[in-house]
Amino acid sequence: MKNPRILILRAAGTNCELETANAFRAVGGAPELVHIAEIKAGKKKLMDYAVLAIPGGFSYGDDVGAGKVLANQIRHTLTDLRQFVRLGRPVIGICNGFQALVKAGILPHSNSCDQVASFTFNDSGKFEARWTHLRLNTQSSCVFFKGLPEMIELPVAHGEGKLVLRSPRHLEDLKKNKSIALQYVTEDGKLMGYPHNPNGSIFNIAGLTNPEGNVLGLMPHPERFVEIHQHPNWTRQTYRKQAVGLEMFKNAVVHAR
Amino acid sequence: MTAPAAAGALNVLAKSPKELRALGDARHLSLNDAEWAAIQTHFKSIKREPSLAEIETIAQTWSEHCKHKTFTSPIRLTEGKKTRTIKNLFEETIVAATAAVKKPWCLSVFEDNAGIVAFGKKWALAFKAETHNHPSALEPYGGAETGVGGVIRDVLGCGLGAKPVLNTDVFCFGTPGYAGALPEGAHHPSRTLRGVVAGVRDYGNRMGIPTAAGGIWFDDDYRLNPLVFVGTVGLIPQSAVKKEVKPGDLIVAVGGRTGRDGLHGATFSSANLGADAPSSAVQIGHAINEKRVLDALLRARDKGLYRSVTDCGAGGFSSAVGELGAKCGADVRLEAAPLKVSDLTGWEIWLSESQERMVLAVPPKNLKALEAVFSAEGCETAVIGEFTNTGRLVVTHKGESVVDLDMKFLHKGLPRVEREATWSAPATSKASGGVEKKAPLVLREMIAHLNVCSREWVIRQYDHEVQGGTVIKPLQGVRHDGPGDACVIWPHAATGDMTDFTGFSVAHGLNPDYGRLDPYYMALACVDEALRNLTCVGADPSRAALLDNFCWASPADPRQLGALVRAAEGCRDAGKGYSAPFISGKDSLYNQSKDEKGKELPIPGTLLISAIAPVPDARKSITMDFKGPGNPLYVIGRTNDELGGSLYHRILGRVGGEVPKANPACAIEGFKSLHAAILKGLVLSAHDLSEGGLAVCAAEMGFSGEFGARLDLDELARDPRIYSNETLLFSESPSRILVEVKPESESAFLRHFGKGAKAAAVRRVGQTTANPILKVVGLDGATVLEEPLRELKEAWQRTLPAVLK
Amino acid sequence: MSVRAMPIATHLIEVRLRPEFADAEGAAALALLLAQSQPSLRDARVSRVYRINGPITANQVQQVAKDLLCDPVTQEHRVVAPTSPPLNGMNFWRVEVWLKPSVTDPVGETVRDAIADMGLPRPDSVRCALVYRLSGRANKASLEKAVARTLANPLIHDAVVSEAHP
Repeated sequence: MKNPRILILRAAGTNCELETANAFRAVGGAPELVHIAEIKAGKKKLMDYAVLAIPGGFSYGDDVGAGKVLANQIRHTLTDLRQFVRLGRPVIGICNGFQALVKAGILPHSNSCDQVASFTFNDSGKFEARWTHLRLNTQSSCVFFKGLPEMIELPVAHGEGKLVLRSPRHLEDLKKNKSIALQYVTEDGKLMGYPHNPNGSIFNIAGLTNPEGNVLGLMPHPERFVEIHQHPNWTRQTYRKQAVGLEMFKNAVVHAR
Repeated sequence: MTAPAAAGALNVLAKSPKELRALGDARHLSLNDAEWAAIQTHFKSIKREPSLAEIETIAQTWSEHCKHKTFTSPIRLTEGKKTRTIKNLFEETIVAATAAVKKPWCLSVFEDNAGIVAFGKKWALAFKAETHNHPSALEPYGGAETGVGGVIRDVLGCGLGAKPVLNTDVFCFGTPGYAGALPEGAHHPSRTLRGVVAGVRDYGNRMGIPTAAGGIWFDDDYRLNPLVFVGTVGLIPQSAVKKEVKPGDLIVAVGGRTGRDGLHGATFSSANLGADAPSSAVQIGHAINEKRVLDALLRARDKGLYRSVTDCGAGGFSSAVGELGAKCGADVRLEAAPLKVSDLTGWEIWLSESQERMVLAVPPKNLKALEAVFSAEGCETAVIGEFTNTGRLVVTHKGESVVDLDMKFLHKGLPRVEREATWSAPATSKASGGVEKKAPLVLREMIAHLNVCSREWVIRQYDHEVQGGTVIKPLQGVRHDGPGDACVIWPHAATGDMTDFTGFSVAHGLNPDYGRLDPYYMALACVDEALRNLTCVGADPSRAALLDNFCWASPADPRQLGALVRAAEGCRDAGKGYSAPFISGKDSLYNQSKDEKGKELPIPGTLLISAIAPVPDARKSITMDFKGPGNPLYVIGRTNDELGGSLYHRILGRVGGEVPKANPACAIEGFKSLHAAILKGLVLSAHDLSEGGLAVCAAEMGFSGEFGARLDLDELARDPRIYSNETLLFSESPSRILVEVKPESESAFLRHFGKGAKAAAVRRVGQTTANPILKVVGLDGATVLEEPLRELKEAWQRTLPAVLK
Repeated sequence: MSVRAMPIATHLIEVRLRPEFADAEGAAALALLLAQSQPSLRDARVSRVYRINGPITANQVQQVAKDLLCDPVTQEHRVVAPTSPPLNGMNFWRVEVWLKPSVTDPVGETVRDAIADMGLPRPDSVRCALVYRLSGRANKASLEKAVARTLANPLIHDAVVSEAHP
């Protein structure tokens, strides 16, 4: 298919869908904004799409824990999501979307229903809007990362982004399965604390992927770096000149073709 | 139809002025004697008592908030021995300036919920700023939240609905370390600061609108009456700017349900926060409801399903329906409104200020389609009546009459009361007092001062990048932490077009210390500051539109009113002088409270100018951080001995001095030429000189870019009578910008100023250096400053986190 | 007029962070209280109490707690039984901050809708309180004053300070 259909999932409180759609369109995808109520009513079907994107925002106001209500809705409404994933179709959850995928038990393992990870408030106790340096896990088979450099920069904007795990054992599992997609690092690639790790996530985890690599969840916003002029230093001309966010979306579309 | 039941034994027609005032106090209605008399006259002529709901409706519609009475009523101004009458201050200043500059790209000014200017050929930008001061003083978080919710709704209800693309926030607070006494019930300024920042953050972030332009001014005179200015910019297709209401259109309420929020005398145990602060004065917002409304409304707009829209703000349905039906008439059946609690009475439903509600005028044939669009977003709708051609506002609840008013009386029956005002210029402009301090120490104190220091603690709590269009951000420089002058927004998420790089910029001007000396020059300075901030990022100053927001103490004090007149006349001359139209504005008066000793503490007269201008190509905008070593530095603008109201005087404890006096004609030429040079790519960085003058400006550019500078004060264009290095370093003469020019482009840069170079006073004053030191050589050739930028930056960054921990 | 099948009951559910997780909200609250001359407070943990009122059974409320209100990884929940506060020598405190009844409770409204979306009977009302569990020595009156200056606004909140279980 020339222009793969992208389902950009919306719910009450989704905020980043338009720029996410713009990004997919720029790389040859055919994005459609679909409200979860439309899927519930049977008007739209997940399996008709090649790629699923769950954008950022404050679904349901974050009132009972970020992404919780959306996660429940995903569990009950996107009943063919696990099949979608098993077929290898790309799924990306950004910020609130990542939180929803984790709380719906899709990440880090999409073939179990258990929730092994969650999010709490940033260690700083504040909402953090800043750009971060990230190191991609070169061993991961994540489809979104194909051809990307190991070190990238993306912005985060969240108050409840600190990833925590059920137990220390789960961290070893994540490492073993190469599920850690990317980590917050310093400019020279080291694992350090605040502000390089903006929220205190365990092991500086910024994103997770399923072992198969077609589902990616991340707190940073790739749709906010699809154009050079979105980088904070573009007027200084002293940064890596690749809008890596765009590459991530392109990889999804290419993979879907 | 029987007349509305006169609630209880109000007996308005028989009451004396004193009794009416008491009734007003009891029900929190701010009607003055003339207004009560007008109400009595009108109802005597129709031979019946007014109902409570009718009085409340009239009070709302005639409130300062809705009708700007002070600004539109006659004022008798006495200046020394001369007296003159101003028939309508608003018309004679703000409106007159806009009419004089006659810009064809102003699409809607002073008539809708926001001002609208053209943005390219297809789009337009709606811009509104207003304050939410009193609620924020009572409950900082809730007050700020609902303030943001309200201004967003104004933009949503502008034209047929504009999509919010930027939020702005400007605050005036007492100092967070205030250690003095406070009256019972007043919140400590640090609590106000935290609560307001959190409220603006939570509502704006949840609505998915980037909060990327703003500022904070600290002064202990605001400790009892904080000022919270919130603004929103929205994008709207030019085809959706016009709205109209036709008789027969259905009145459709959308959004949140109606409850007891905001009702005077709601069941509530008396607060211990000041004698008569009702909890009803504060509502709690629920952003998710407003987000649903936003999503649904824009979809319905694009389908052409309604003819007009407005928001439910102060006064709830009463003001929304009253406004929409002003020219034709309306019939309302309140039992149809969705309720939060089932036992609301008619007048409660009518006057409730429950948040997140809007009212549409919908042609009956579109109703089903409209309901479908809204329900798809989980947003409720209800038909609560229809617009008529009777010229009357007729409101019933389950058949019982609640309101039956003549629309003309409601909107035009407001009596104009003449007020007295006096103005006298300060006796002398001579500076006196204070302690001498050497320049290096002064600079250190300035850079760490609350009104200069880094606001990163606040800014990082706002998602300033949602919608992916914040091309120039509030925090700039190598480490993303330098103080930007303005933001540039490339609204591709709203336009859907990533190939069109037209952007816009918003900047502000505010300085109450100038106003303490002369509000006229404060107004000029504020407009100048907003325009030069816009220019510094690459926006077009010749296409700027302005908003005015006045926050003042009581206009019943003739000196306060005189100062207000002076500020308004400054706005008029600034609008004309800079050829910038005012497109919208608001005022908040009576900002004063009794301090702990029972003495009235008025705020200093405060004017916020917000300016918006297009950026022809966002990819050509620039930031304020020095970009490299060995680059020529130019100062545009003349430095005079203008230290009145300056940060320098604050630091020294000195009073008096000349207040900065802007010269719009020279200034605008300089701004326009600089803009042309920026568009041509000749400029590497630019930053305006404001609080702390040249020294602070150069320090900020230096530590943001991590390059030093060497400046020579003798090279400054200046008043030749100045012999003091400190005056040159710290003067706050307006219209000045420090510019880093590409070395190979110096002559081209100067060519852009052409003949205007002399008027704009463009002079090369030094260059950037690799060594990160700010070095300034004085008039006598000796070094006046030699400060490591790293230390200045540390001091600059330490202040807010230390005081807020 | 409809006939209610279920008796209307009031249920109180408390949701708190598991002890092994750091509590950033608690740390922020502690910092504010310490700045209000409460130097002997040592720790603060924040939990939320939901008061669910309506034709909904205890079992259904447990389901709500498990599926909606409580995160299985980071949180635990319990039913709050109304008991009188035990005295513990002023070393452990419980501060409950509720919005006054006349004030809109946005979190409560969201929970109410979410419960209905789960297919359960829509409650008549849901209110949500923030509960601060403080350890450290304090004097009740001065703690109440500190709370009124930081964690609660007497204009819109009802704050109840009591000695509590450690």
